Amino acid sequence: MKKFLIKVNGNQYEVEVEEVRDGASAPQVTFSAPAPAAAAPAPAPAPAPKAAAPKKDTAVPAGAVIIKAPMPGTILNIHVNQGDTVKKGQVLLILEAMKMENEILAPNDGTVASVNVSKGSSVNVGEVLLSLN
Amino acid sequence: MDKVDKISLLHEKLAQVEQGGGAERIAKQHNSGKMTARERIEALFDENSFVETDTFVETRSIDFDMQKKKVAGDGVVTGYGSIDGRLVFVSSQDFTVIGGSLGEMHAAKITKVMDMAMKMGAPFISINDSGGARIEEGIDALKGFGDIFYRNTLASGVIPQISVIMGPCAGGAVYSPAITDFIFMVDKTSQMFITGPQVIKSVTGEDVTFEKLGGAETHNSISGVAHFRSSNEKECIEQIKKLISYLPDNNLSDVPVFASQDDMNRINDNLANIIPEGSNKPYDMMDIITSVVDNGDFFEIQKHFAQNIIVGFGRMNGATVGIVANQPKFSAGVLDVNSSDKAARFVRFCDSFNIPVITFTDVPGYLPGVGQEHSGVIRHGAKLLYAFSEATVPKINVIVRKAYGGAYIAMNSKHLGADMVFAWPSAEIAVMGPDGAANIIFKKDIAAADDPVEARSRLIEEYRDKFSNPYVAASRGYVDDVIDPATTRIRLISALEMLASKRENRPAKKHGNIPL
Repeated sequence: MKKFLIKVNGNQYEVEVEEVRDGASAPQVTFSAPAPAAAAPAPAPAPAPKAAAPKKDTAVPAGAVIIKAPMPGTILNIHVNQGDTVKKGQVLLILEAMKMENEILAPNDGTVASVNVSKGSSVNVGEVLLSLN
Repeated sequence: MDKVDKISLLHEKLAQVEQGGGAERIAKQHNSGKMTARERIEALFDENSFVETDTFVETRSIDFDMQKKKVAGDGVVTGYGSIDGRLVFVSSQDFTVIGGSLGEMHAAKITKVMDMAMKMGAPFISINDSGGARIEEGIDALKGFGDIFYRNTLASGVIPQISVIMGPCAGGAVYSPAITDFIFMVDKTSQMFITGPQVIKSVTGEDVTFEKLGGAETHNSISGVAHFRSSNEKECIEQIKKLISYLPDNNLSDVPVFASQDDMNRINDNLANIIPEGSNKPYDMMDIITSVVDNGDFFEIQKHFAQNIIVGFGRMNGATVGIVANQPKFSAGVLDVNSSDKAARFVRFCDSFNIPVITFTDVPGYLPGVGQEHSGVIRHGAKLLYAFSEATVPKINVIVRKAYGGAYIAMNSKHLGADMVFAWPSAEIAVMGPDGAANIIFKKDIAAADDPVEARSRLIEEYRDKFSNPYVAASRGYVDDVIDPATTRIRLISALEMLASKRENRPAKKHGNIPL
């Protein structure tokens, strides 16, 4: 756990950040109230809430197997939903790239922990597509 | 001492050497799922065929009390024997003796059998299980490593060299395997790295396990350092024997030929059905390869690395061929940094050892992206063009579907010296895909049209009909023949027979300068 002091519009925030590794606990990001030193009037909305509550669809549970995009392309179809049980080798989604409808397969048996992309969205190399438990 | 005593003394000494580092250390080796150096040799060679060399060699070092630690054999078993009746030389490090560490005499034993392998023109197998350089012997140990690397390099392209990692292989020791042709690794017991987890932790702060850093899985799927992975040592040794069965003894001998049980005139009606209707649909290239080679038996190399290209050995009418094929099932079968490296190295191996190369082409192009460009896809992609151009062995290309742009040239095209280029009727050989080409060529027409969307799709179709087929290339002679997929095996075997006497002269030079 690392502590940072961050100043936003004259307001000081104390931020604790923990690095998440495979198998480690879920991310913990805590923010303390502005330090008393800062007495600025009505600060602009701090970026805190955004970081504290990440968008639901991009969250990857800790310890899950992450499946990343092998190439830049477009998500043509998603065959599974969160919570589905999948078998090794099952087609999870179709990534259209290099004029090919590439099947993204399950690397092992498991359940779909998260689906991080939506149909029609374009992804870059290494972008998280979904994760398996 | 009379004659009988002298002979019994010899047997006593031999029995001692056989014991290696002693029963306790041998038990420890077994408990960690490893065989001893001698057991490995026994498993690898034909029964009773192994002949040991330098049995009584021991260290000369007296620094740091080395004379008290010394054991006859000096931590490595060397010699020769036969694998399926063929002469093979071997060195096998003994982890039970001073941790299999490499000192001056240990290295001298290895270089001696390497020199013998070179003179006799027979494959050399090096089994690695060592803690690394023997620190007590200082720079004499480093000299030992250097002597081995030098011979690995001289032997490269002369005799097949195979490295088997069955324990630790760290620091300088990794460079002997790296120079050799093939590296075998075993899950959980073999590791290769330049600097270990502790050093990495102290320098960069990264936490990593031995297995994650340099285990069999890592080097077979991420780094591409290793070529084969097995779950235990027995399985690994079976793989080595199988590999040897495809290889010639040296660069002047022919590939081994086995009596083929598979009809050379076998028609294969299912081949045409493997290619899907839509050209943007993937399929498994392995289905095509196994339908064509003898008995469907294909020995894949680097199965887990850069899976968008397949390389490996098969037999056609009993004789070894090297096969390189794009795999549309993975990353659309694109060429990129890793797949270019993988295929180029394989083609150069085949060329060194008179193994004809057959390619099955279905390639959409080189992978676009900042990552690829910055990783040097220009430099790496160039290796593939260089390797195909340089190769003088029979080269046959079968274009089964896409062959676009620069990747068309790179994949064993007529222009790089392919002897025979066949195309299936499903082939699309063009400068680029119809969509992209139409966008450029008909840019003005599309913009000026009343209904640009309709115009665009009409013009794409027009381009596809006109150029995305094998007949334009065939009309220029860039494709030697358009063939019925069902006859692929027959056509390939006939071409290989025609090419058996191929002789091609190149300008005399020391060696080329392949972009590395």
